[in-house]
Amino acid sequence: MSRLAITGTSSLLGSRLLRRAVEARGGDAVLALDIAAPPATLDVRHRELDLTEPAADERLLKILKEESVTTLVHAAFFTTPRRDRSHSHELESIGTLAVMAAAAAAGVEHVVMRSFTAVYGARGQNPSFLTEDRPLEAGARLAWVRDKLEAEQHASAFARRYPDLVVTILRVAPLFGPGVRTFYTRLFDKRVVPTLLGFDPLVQLLHPDDALDAFEAALARPRAGAFNVVPRASIPLVAALHLAEKVPVPIPHPIAYAASDALWAAGLVEAPGAFLDYARYPCVADGEKARRELGFTARYSSRDALLAYLRYRHPEGVAAVAEARA
Amino acid sequence: MSPVAKVLPMRRPTSEADALRDRVRALEDALRRAEAAGRETAREGLPVAVARLLQEGLAGVRWDSLARALSAAYFSWHSEEVDEFGFDRKFTETVRPFFEFLYTVWWRVEATGVENVPATGAGLIVANHSGVLPYDGLMINVAVRHEHPARRECRMLALDMFALLPFLAPWLSKSGAVRANPENGERLLRSGELVGVFPEGVKGVGKRFKDRYRLARFGRGGFVRLALRTGAPIVPCAVVGGEEIHPVVAKADWLGRPLGLPYFPITPTFPLLGPLGLVPLPTKWSLDFADPVATDGYGAEAAEDPILVNRLSEQVRATVQRMIDGRLARRRSIWFG
Repeated sequence: MSRLAITGTSSLLGSRLLRRAVEARGGDAVLALDIAAPPATLDVRHRELDLTEPAADERLLKILKEESVTTLVHAAFFTTPRRDRSHSHELESIGTLAVMAAAAAAGVEHVVMRSFTAVYGARGQNPSFLTEDRPLEAGARLAWVRDKLEAEQHASAFARRYPDLVVTILRVAPLFGPGVRTFYTRLFDKRVVPTLLGFDPLVQLLHPDDALDAFEAALARPRAGAFNVVPRASIPLVAALHLAEKVPVPIPHPIAYAASDALWAAGLVEAPGAFLDYARYPCVADGEKARRELGFTARYSSRDALLAYLRYRHPEGVAAVAEARA
Repeated sequence: MSPVAKVLPMRRPTSEADALRDRVRALEDALRRAEAAGRETAREGLPVAVARLLQEGLAGVRWDSLARALSAAYFSWHSEEVDEFGFDRKFTETVRPFFEFLYTVWWRVEATGVENVPATGAGLIVANHSGVLPYDGLMINVAVRHEHPARRECRMLALDMFALLPFLAPWLSKSGAVRANPENGERLLRSGELVGVFPEGVKGVGKRFKDRYRLARFGRGGFVRLALRTGAPIVPCAVVGGEEIHPVVAKADWLGRPLGLPYFPITPTFPLLGPLGLVPLPTKWSLDFADPVATDGYGAEAAEDPILVNRLSEQVRATVQRMIDGRLARRRSIWFG
């Protein structure tokens, strides 16, 4: 009996992966690892696991052995930044260390880890298409990015040390679509959205169904290394806002950075000012490697993902108008 | 709606079909009502929104209709889908008349040899750079678009410094320019696009007036490697007239650096006359395209041969310099050619 284990099944991507895996393989072949139990309607094995505990690796090793897990999907990551920085560091960076150590010791064959295209960082010097061999943004200003980066580094270090362990890292573009509730999708629920005066980068919005397809492709063909998971086409940020019929208010960037840092410190916004880099400079990843080696191509473009999200948020509103125009 | 309504009665028992038809009709009514309501608010355009704002203050703003009006205004000159580099055809069509005005009236551009630009497939136009702001690229674009029988679109490789500046950066990428790096160039050429490049780079645009028409070093031959790897022919192009539109008499780098600019040009009109100093002088321009240099005979591995790369680069540079010198020798006036 070989099982697929999924960590972070309460996360957006983790919960959907779990559902899909249960549908494809049956509830007994899948193991959910999370603090919280999966929904009672979903018939699936569940073991409680807190990756921030000091002895998480030993506990996980025991679970993996008992349940004879051969494949592991690691999806315990925060998409929306947390105020408790040390907690997210424990979960993402140290937690990944624990997951990799336990997986290596338990003889797991294949680990698929969720990561973010944001780890490349949004910088003016970025090429138009970021490939997987691009050095990641070391010394990022955002703790949110640093934790993800460290997690990737831990995973790659274990992959080097244990040649039998295949580690696939999927750098997923920002998710946008039905059911996605993050700090950036909540911006699209406001009527007035601040933008940076004079900047309009291309952004990639990935439909969650595409992300799930990518994980399935990665599970079907175990390949070591990092892969970008990106939508079919990107969209200019301002065009996206107008498509959603928002009122964009351009703000000069020095003011915007200072203001959002102050608002973050005051607890009034969901993300610190350094995130504005992603609204200023492009961070567009190239999906060619995933297409070549995993056979994954996205079905939806960024525009499709955005419209799908709008349809989900406003069943008879904006999206109907946008579609009538198309 | 109608195909459903027509097909269903043949397949379903009558009572069920009737029920379905009723539901369809009810849905259609609801849809019509919703559309009418949508039209009403959509018709309330910007003037009404502004008037309401003046009359009732912020309380009078109907955000839905304001947002809808802004959205309609935006998409009236932007397309909803752009290419992978952000090239927006509708936006380009909208701003094109302005560049055509610059081309035909302001600078009265005289183009020769446009037929040397390949009518199909990849091609690399290599030109001298001048004029502080990237007007020369735009003029080459208009020339290829208007005077070439194939009416091709030339994608310019823009300097990184332009791609970082607020306003200019999104504006350039919407009008088809891409960041100048080998990966982008190769991507465009491989998809059979016509690509324009200025190997002098920042040394070319920021030239002082006294150094005008003296070509700077052509980079390290990156454009030749690009052409060799993709087998695209190189078309040398000489731009004359661009050097005088913003005569740079001095450079104030101490002013430019804090602003994030690689140089801060001082011209007779800028910054003295403020924004008026940004108006380029109406010189007479000429664009000369030379015979293409074929690169497909060498093979892709020739890109790693530094001697060959340097020779081809020097050959192209000499061709451009020769065309420029010829033009300058024949030119009697900066303003009238």
